[in-house]
Amino acid sequence: MSAAIWAITGVLFAAGLAMAVLRRQLLAMLLGVELMLAAVNVSLVHSAGLFSDAQAMAAVAIVIAVAAAEAVVGLSLILRALRTGRGVEAGAYTELRG
Amino acid sequence: MTPAQVPVAVWLLFAAPISAILFGFFVMRPLKPEWTHWPILASCAVVVAAAFSLTARVLGGRSFDVNLYRWAATNGWAVDAGIRIDGVGMAVLSMVALVGSLIHVYAAAYMRGEKGFSRFFLVFHLFFLAMIGLLTANNYVQLYLFWELVGVSSYLLIGYWFHKESARKAALKAILVNRVGDFGFLLALLYILATFKVSHFHLIYLQVSAGQGLAALPVIGLLLIWAACAKSAQFPLYFWLPDAMEGPTPTSALMHAATMVTAGVFLLVRSWPLIAVVPWLPHLVAGIGAFTALFAGIVACTKKDLKRILAYSTVSHLGLMMLALGLGQVGLAVFHLVVHGFFKAALFLCAGNIGHAIHKPTADVDEVGGWRKAMPVTYGIFLVSSLSLAGIWPLAGFYSKDAILDAARRGGGWIGVASLAIGALSAFYIFRMLFLTFHGDRPEQQQLSHHPHEGTLDFVLPVALLAAGAAFAGLWAPHLETLLVYGWHGLPMGLPNMPGTLNLPGSPIIPRLDWHDALGVGSLMAALGLAGAYYLTMVDQSWDWRWRAASPLLESVFESDFGWKTLMDAIASGTVSFARVVGRTFDKGWWDGLIEGTATASRRGADALAEFSQGRLNDYLWWMAAAAALLLGGALR
Repeated sequence: MSAAIWAITGVLFAAGLAMAVLRRQLLAMLLGVELMLAAVNVSLVHSAGLFSDAQAMAAVAIVIAVAAAEAVVGLSLILRALRTGRGVEAGAYTELRG
Repeated sequence: MTPAQVPVAVWLLFAAPISAILFGFFVMRPLKPEWTHWPILASCAVVVAAAFSLTARVLGGRSFDVNLYRWAATNGWAVDAGIRIDGVGMAVLSMVALVGSLIHVYAAAYMRGEKGFSRFFLVFHLFFLAMIGLLTANNYVQLYLFWELVGVSSYLLIGYWFHKESARKAALKAILVNRVGDFGFLLALLYILATFKVSHFHLIYLQVSAGQGLAALPVIGLLLIWAACAKSAQFPLYFWLPDAMEGPTPTSALMHAATMVTAGVFLLVRSWPLIAVVPWLPHLVAGIGAFTALFAGIVACTKKDLKRILAYSTVSHLGLMMLALGLGQVGLAVFHLVVHGFFKAALFLCAGNIGHAIHKPTADVDEVGGWRKAMPVTYGIFLVSSLSLAGIWPLAGFYSKDAILDAARRGGGWIGVASLAIGALSAFYIFRMLFLTFHGDRPEQQQLSHHPHEGTLDFVLPVALLAAGAAFAGLWAPHLETLLVYGWHGLPMGLPNMPGTLNLPGSPIIPRLDWHDALGVGSLMAALGLAGAYYLTMVDQSWDWRWRAASPLLESVFESDFGWKTLMDAIASGTVSFARVVGRTFDKGWWDGLIEGTATASRRGADALAEFSQGRLNDYLWWMAAAAALLLGGALR
């Protein structure tokens, strides 16, 4: 049981990471980050049961709040980016080029 | 003696100048700068009274040496602040206080209305204070501190007209050459502390008398002589003194007569019990002194600037003091120091009066001539002082200078021959100056339109008093002798077979010349010099111009002090160029190269690394993920 849950969370996390790293659309990258957070939440809930520790539950609550806030900031940034007329492709924003 | 028993005169010696300087600086300078001299003149009066009361005390056999305060202590040795009121200190201090105060009075008149009057007076008095401290110090460390203070004050005074480039250069030259000597003193001081573990004169005298530390004495003596050569303007470090004329005339008078150049001679007198036990050191001192006296005497004969003639004359007479010391005649050296202080101060202030009459800081012999009618009092003062300097009987100079030359002649050798020439030369240069300035209406001067006039009483009276000293200071000789014999605080000097005491080397006895010695060789040489000066200025009036015109080469030889000044300038500019090359190679080349190389390397490295950063968001994420994986992997392992 435990191994299945670990595998699911691992796959979910890896999928989120791949999405964030490989996809070029900002919205998709944001989705990938959300997916990684969700995967971590699942593993935290499982560990809380495993070790009978409520602190993990508290961490989950905080992660959910942070994820929500992050979604708000991320979406509004993407909206701003859209308004500049340069599109929502990550390749269009290279201001950090060295 | 405990600090509470120290006579009040000692405290006054320091309290009066310090409070006058502080009051002058904090009260007079902001409120009424043209009155700065009043507190300072009051302090001079107090200092003179205190100095003479202490001299009387030492004459009465009550010299003392007391530590007031332990300033620094280690396991091995300690440095104290103390007071030594003894014969040699008081012999010089009584002259310094009197002559210095008269010069202060003169300076108040001479500098009136000058911009920076209060600055001048405050530094002038600081100079005076430094000399008082130097003469009453009871150990080498304290002496060294005041020695340096003397040097700094002289720098400030020579560079008083700092808007003039020549004054700035002369001040810099003076302090740099003095630094060379000070370095010798510093080395001597460290060596003394390392050898004797104390810095007190008295304890060192006792140790040396007991035969301790003798192995170190040749080097210590040599270093002290080195220091004295710079401060007392002896060959090879004499050449700052003639340039020091750039300061106002009272500064020159104070420096030449009372405060600065006497410090070197005083240092050697103080250290004489150390130097004289090494057999060859006195010979060295005598050689330096005789050579300097002869050399500066020759150069003085060819100078045109009045103050410059007097400056070389000072160098020559300091050489005579060194010569007297080197011959073991400590008493004579101190005697001549005192007499010289009077006549040289008077001569300088006369030069100041002459300059004042034509409204210039100094005058050239070409600009003056036949002024004895216009300035009769200055002429009289100058005449008396010149006769004293030339050693004409019965003025004081005869008793001090001729006694030195007499001793040198009796010593024989090249110094004996040189002493004859020195006697003739000093009469020649001073009377050449006198005749050119006050006598003879030469054709060259007909077109000059100066209207010289005598200064007011405050210009004349202090100088007249100094000239009186120059005439009668010979009478002080027996007292000086007593001071030197018994004033070493229980260590009589050069008197064998005194039970219960130690004897210091060097003779304090001042040989008394009699009136019939005035018919001897010394006076003959002086008369020869005087007659020569008369012939070459009054009879053959254009001689001074002719030889210069006939041989510009010869003139340039004299102008450069037989090439010594050229050599010193070359060494100085060589040092500067060397420093520049070193600076360029090491500082600019190597050190800056290292620092700039580091900067360049980091910039290049950054540029190379920046190639990886293309500004793509996905790359950053990829690196973040990779770094997190690495860290996690490391943490879990």
